[in-house]
Amino acid sequence: MGKDTWKDFRLYVITAESNHPGKALVDVMEQTLIGGADILQLRNKTGSREEVLGQAKALRELTRKYNVPFIINDYPDIVLEVDADGVHLGQEDLPIAEARRLLGPEKIIGISTHSLQQALAAERDGADYIGVGPVFPTDTKPGRAAVTTSYVAEAARHVTIPFVAIGGITLGNVDTVLASGARRICSVSAIVGSSDPAATCRSFLERIEGASAGTLLVNVNGREQLTSARTIEEFVKQLEQHNKKLVVERNGELVPRALWAETELLSGDAIELVHFVGGG
Amino acid sequence: MANDRDAVWADRYSRQIRFAPIGEQGQRKLADACVLIVGVGALGASLAQHMVRAGVGEVRLVDRDFVEPSNLQRQMLFDEADALAVLPKAVAAANKLRVINSGVKVTAEVAEVGRGNAERLAAGTQLVLDGTDNAKTRVLLSDVCYRLGIPFVYGGVAGAGAMSAVLIPGETSCFRCLIGADEHEQEADTCDTVGVLAAAVEFTAALQAAEAVKWLTGNRAAMRGTWLSADLWSFRVREAALPKGRAACAYCGQPHGAAAAAGQADSEGPEMVSALLCGRDSVQVTLGRALDLSRLECRLRERGCALTVNRYLVKAVLQDGVSLVLFPDGRVLVQGTHDAGRAVELCKEYILEQELPAPR
Repeated sequence: MGKDTWKDFRLYVITAESNHPGKALVDVMEQTLIGGADILQLRNKTGSREEVLGQAKALRELTRKYNVPFIINDYPDIVLEVDADGVHLGQEDLPIAEARRLLGPEKIIGISTHSLQQALAAERDGADYIGVGPVFPTDTKPGRAAVTTSYVAEAARHVTIPFVAIGGITLGNVDTVLASGARRICSVSAIVGSSDPAATCRSFLERIEGASAGTLLVNVNGREQLTSARTIEEFVKQLEQHNKKLVVERNGELVPRALWAETELLSGDAIELVHFVGGG
Repeated sequence: MANDRDAVWADRYSRQIRFAPIGEQGQRKLADACVLIVGVGALGASLAQHMVRAGVGEVRLVDRDFVEPSNLQRQMLFDEADALAVLPKAVAAANKLRVINSGVKVTAEVAEVGRGNAERLAAGTQLVLDGTDNAKTRVLLSDVCYRLGIPFVYGGVAGAGAMSAVLIPGETSCFRCLIGADEHEQEADTCDTVGVLAAAVEFTAALQAAEAVKWLTGNRAAMRGTWLSADLWSFRVREAALPKGRAACAYCGQPHGAAAAAGQADSEGPEMVSALLCGRDSVQVTLGRALDLSRLECRLRERGCALTVNRYLVKAVLQDGVSLVLFPDGRVLVQGTHDAGRAVELCKEYILEQELPAPR
């Protein structure tokens, strides 16, 4: 795997054994990889170190076979021991700088964030990706308030490293998360708890790809609107305003008419269109 | 005695000088300053009054139009006598301004601003204030300002809507980049279609005048730095940050004062050009050559037109209620029609064929 190609991942899966009683961990996770999941995390908050190490060795072997990056929640020592691709940290776990010191520059370090402030701090501290959530209330992390899709939209606007939306995401609500600007989705129970994890993964990927090719959610003159436009120029055309002299403002700054064609529209953008006033 | 006269006017600017950011030093800077006001209609008249009362040393006015009754609702420098005398706006404004403050050098030019004269008019000023009513002239003025390194104080008004921004060479994008020079893109609302509220005019002119006084008194750090849009009826005000110059632009992409001399001073060509005037049932036809007004006056009188004549223009009322207002610089304002084609035909019939020898 090239050094940065892992960043192109779209569907992030995480283990959750309690969601598939009677089915073996490795079998369920192999089904997710067959379905197209392109990054896998081992998360085991209750087992002993010995148990986690055993699972890590098995999943390392499995993810090698499918050429998919393998991340371990916490346990930087096990990351080194099994040569996993990286570690995922929580806000209360060891600091990013400490993890970097332990793991060296090559390993992937991800961290869960619950606010834009935490996201920007993680970016500053050298995280390689962040989790953004929980978007919806979830049993995987009971007791944590949902951050809603508004944080997803904020992340889409302000975060420059890869971010993955997580928390209570199902095939029933993934479209609103995508419309808020997420292009990487993590789902736990909806995938590993399903009767056919491979099929569920394929469905998630279809929706993610559809969104990448499709619509953005922008705020136009104070109202949310979905659009397939990629640039300000296309957007103005879609609104049938292109024959008028307009002043276009994007996120508080005027967009020169000369730059409409090359100014990309992003999900979460706040656009203000005002007719040019020219009398004197 | 000079001393007595000085004593009478000693307090003239005292309230402005007492305003700490201006002070004695700012007042001296105003007295040394020169501004150009392009268009002396609603915005321009108000701007001119602000500049002259504030004690700006030299105020240059240029306007292509004349005063008529429909102006009086909002164009604060004009009165009924000006409208009855069909005085050019630049001249009527200068007359009033000289009475308001005889210490200011006020010059007035009755002309359309175009490539042929814009640079001459702007040269030597510290600011160009926008009192125009169309985007095309603003693009031209912005180009000239960026070439000369002079800020352009844009203002626009229609209905209850107001817009204003100060475009500064070396700091912000130019008008050409911000709004575009595409003449196929129409202005949605004009004074013709939605009318105009006098208070919206004064609001806009006040925004422009405040920025102008800041600039001229050396309060550069206090410049607002935003594109402001407002609606006075619903009372909404928005401000958007002004982007920096665009590297690829020949005007705002250049270091301060080094803008290209591209497209300079090419004349409009000899063919006739027509343009609708803002807020008026009028079409301006540019004939592309100077007119001999005294000769035309005789010919038009012979054809039975009712004439109003002053030293700046000739107004002829035709039989069907349409009027032609002739300026010596070759422009004719055809009043009483929106139809550019008809306006051009009337100019051919009454002016060109009369002035040229008959073909037979």
